[in-house]
Amino acid sequence: MVKKEVIEELKRIVGDNDVLTSKEALRAYSYDGTTNWIKEPDVVVFPKDSQQISEILKIANKEKIPVTPRGGGTNVSGGSVPWFGGIVLCTTKMNRILKIDKENLTCTVEAGVVLQDLNNALAKEGLFFPPDPQSFLGATIGGIVAENAGGPACVKYGVTKQYVLGLEVVLPTGEIVNLGGRTLKNVAGYDLIHLFISSEGTLGVISKAELKVNPIPPSKKTIIALYDDVAMAGETVYRVLENGVIPGKIELLDNWVINRIEEMMPLGLPKDAEAMLLFECDGIEEAVQKETEKVVEISKKYGAKDVRVAKDADEANRYWTARRAGFAAVFGKAKTVLSEDVTVPRGKIPDLIRRSQEIAKKYGLELVILGHAGDGNLHPSFLTDVENKEHYEKATKAMEEIIYAAVDLGGVLSGEHGIGLEKQKFFSRVTDPKVVNLMKNIKALLDPNGIMNPGKIWE
Amino acid sequence: MEKHVIEKIEKIVGKENVLKSYEERKCYSFDARAQGAIPDLVVFPLSSFHVSEVLRIANEYKFPVVPRGQGSGVTGGAVPTSGGVVMVFTKMNRIKEIDKENLIAIVEPGVITYDLQEEVKKYGLFYPPDPASHRYSTIGGNVAECAGGPNSLKYGVTRDYVLGLEVVLPTGEIMRTGVRTMKGVVGYDLTRLFVGSEGTLCVITEITLKLIPLPESKATILAFFREVEDAAVCVSKIIAERIVPAVMEFMDKASIICIERANPIGVPENTGALLLIEVDGDRASVRSQVEKIVSVLKEKGVSEFRVTYDPIEAENLWLARRTLSQATYNLNPIKIAEDVVVPRSKIPVLIRKLEELSGRLGIPILSFGHAGDGNFHVSIMIKDEPQDFKKAEEAVREIFRETLRLKGTISGEHGIGILKADYIDMELSQEALSVMAKIKKLFDPNNILNPGKIFPKHILSG
Repeated sequence: MVKKEVIEELKRIVGDNDVLTSKEALRAYSYDGTTNWIKEPDVVVFPKDSQQISEILKIANKEKIPVTPRGGGTNVSGGSVPWFGGIVLCTTKMNRILKIDKENLTCTVEAGVVLQDLNNALAKEGLFFPPDPQSFLGATIGGIVAENAGGPACVKYGVTKQYVLGLEVVLPTGEIVNLGGRTLKNVAGYDLIHLFISSEGTLGVISKAELKVNPIPPSKKTIIALYDDVAMAGETVYRVLENGVIPGKIELLDNWVINRIEEMMPLGLPKDAEAMLLFECDGIEEAVQKETEKVVEISKKYGAKDVRVAKDADEANRYWTARRAGFAAVFGKAKTVLSEDVTVPRGKIPDLIRRSQEIAKKYGLELVILGHAGDGNLHPSFLTDVENKEHYEKATKAMEEIIYAAVDLGGVLSGEHGIGLEKQKFFSRVTDPKVVNLMKNIKALLDPNGIMNPGKIWE
Repeated sequence: MEKHVIEKIEKIVGKENVLKSYEERKCYSFDARAQGAIPDLVVFPLSSFHVSEVLRIANEYKFPVVPRGQGSGVTGGAVPTSGGVVMVFTKMNRIKEIDKENLIAIVEPGVITYDLQEEVKKYGLFYPPDPASHRYSTIGGNVAECAGGPNSLKYGVTRDYVLGLEVVLPTGEIMRTGVRTMKGVVGYDLTRLFVGSEGTLCVITEITLKLIPLPESKATILAFFREVEDAAVCVSKIIAERIVPAVMEFMDKASIICIERANPIGVPENTGALLLIEVDGDRASVRSQVEKIVSVLKEKGVSEFRVTYDPIEAENLWLARRTLSQATYNLNPIKIAEDVVVPRSKIPVLIRKLEELSGRLGIPILSFGHAGDGNFHVSIMIKDEPQDFKKAEEAVREIFRETLRLKGTISGEHGIGILKADYIDMELSQEALSVMAKIKKLFDPNNILNPGKIFPKHILSG
């Protein structure tokens, strides 16, 4: 329980209106993009600048109150859920885009800027921020950096960590530290920036970021390829890459998702297709044309029964809207969805799919597969119901097997969602204890009182 | 170093993998630019087990261990500061695996960068980072320093290609970090903490690298300008045209004069700057990129330019750039080299500052480098005289001040080592340095691993 005097102190720092303690407000900040974990904070504060964050952290550190940083709360592994109560430090009022530097292809933003807002502003200058987590309508840059978010575009463009040039972070002890800078190269001292990226809010609060941005590619083409066998689609993915073509995106949707999409928004996709690959090639026109031809050729060669090139932007947009709707389709169909974020070396995608199917069959469960096949990052999902204990347990068990299968194939248990609360059990089981120990020591070094987002990453 | 300690080490790696004579040890006291102390022993481990065992002894007897590849670094990163063991990785030089399906290579640290590049080429693959020393530098050293090179604008630096590492901690523990996949967020990113740590946190014993498909073809353009501003405008304009060249090398007037004297390439009179541009990709896109670049060049006042699609002809265009570093020594025998980076648009501001400094101090200052990412190699050429060293010191401070004022960094790709340790606090705050120092102490409580690097002396002792 946070003491009354502390709440008063927080009000003094950020102003009365930016401290929430009502029952309804606390409830609203008790869960993340899923509702798999619920825990109410004692108080929610909205700082306006890094100075205020520093003052909040100093008090929290002195009083040993847990602080959970939060942006849009769109994450899906429990990272922003205040597992031990205390303070939720919400950065959504620090949402200014401070600078877009067209000449140097960089931008400076506060942590609370929503990705979609940033991309809208960048688009006016012909620029974009490539990592594209599918929660872009609500996800904030601070959260995206803290979780090292990915998305479909990462196959060509890489993940968030490849776009962070500099960070302003506030340490749990209240010091404001600037890391990195505004240049593409920088080797002055240890790379602390990357220690903070994907640290899930456990080392400090990210208050500002200097990001690299790219010019919007002048030309794009979308291709869909349909298959009778999911594993064949998986093979096409690495065959395309092996042949020297790196499309901007390669997404995989299975039969279940295709059918839900056809129900929601009929696109004329064959309902009997077992899998669909959705490619986007981007770049300068000549290169896009050539890549498209190659993708079509290779897809056919490796077993696609039908390949279509979207004839215009309208048609392409419909496919991509369908892809985005894919997740909604999954979540809309069941009370509880167990969705994973495993990533395997791309050549192992067919193996992972086959093994996931076998596991689903063994447990008699309905399996849904969709994901960013281009970088080996799949989101296999089971539809279940947390209140149907027997079914839920079966689904949990089957999912565990899928995770171990992925690790067994040389993969990792999380590609872009983070460990948070969700994957702790697996994390400690598949990670070398020496490595975990080192991470914990780094945590203790920066956060001696353990106030930053306690309960996350490790059990 | 006591005899029984040396014997212990010999027992681990074998007598044939230890050098003891003064002459041999002396060879390992310097790198491509810095002179350090003479080590007590030079050891060539053959496995991570060897590394681990030697580090355990070092921890017990508290002597320094300095990891080293080919010693082609330029800031003293691989040079001992106070004796101990230099641990040389040139015998751990196997390419263990090239995985064509997953675009991955697994290598030992002693593999020469160029050898890896040539080997993966056979599979139609490409390992982009290309520090100027790539023909003899090792991958281990590249990773430890986070080496860059001309093509980083398009392809990124070494850090962007390291997926995973096997490392040995100073305490002798062998550990794996990172992944074999393109994505992975499983706890803190220790891999990237180790990349660029200059051998001060751990010894790298195996590296998992990301590869990309080899571009089908390329074209090279050499362009001359009257004024440095014209060249800079062209760089910005090319990028604004959404072209990302693989290479955009810049040379200032002082460098051009220097090269033209040593190795004439027929530079037009009154040339104030030159750009060497390379684009790659499939044939059609290379041609269209060249057309667009040429039209930018013409529009923005290029005085003369040459284009080639032929790799041999391209080598001729590269000649000036490749021989420049050596040619600088015709001006004066001693080079103080810096490796600053400024945001691309600030390039002319920095260049004018260098010209002004050179005029004021009366010493040649040349700059050339990677215009695409704003990374400049500044060479201050001096005589072996005390007043020249003083002037150089003044010049370095002013260059760093200007670089930082322009929101740049004092080292883009060479690292801090010993040569820049005294300047690092111009860029990094006390808070940031103190976090780094704490991390160093956490990993290496006895400060045995590459001591005397990166940090100004007072930071670690405090």
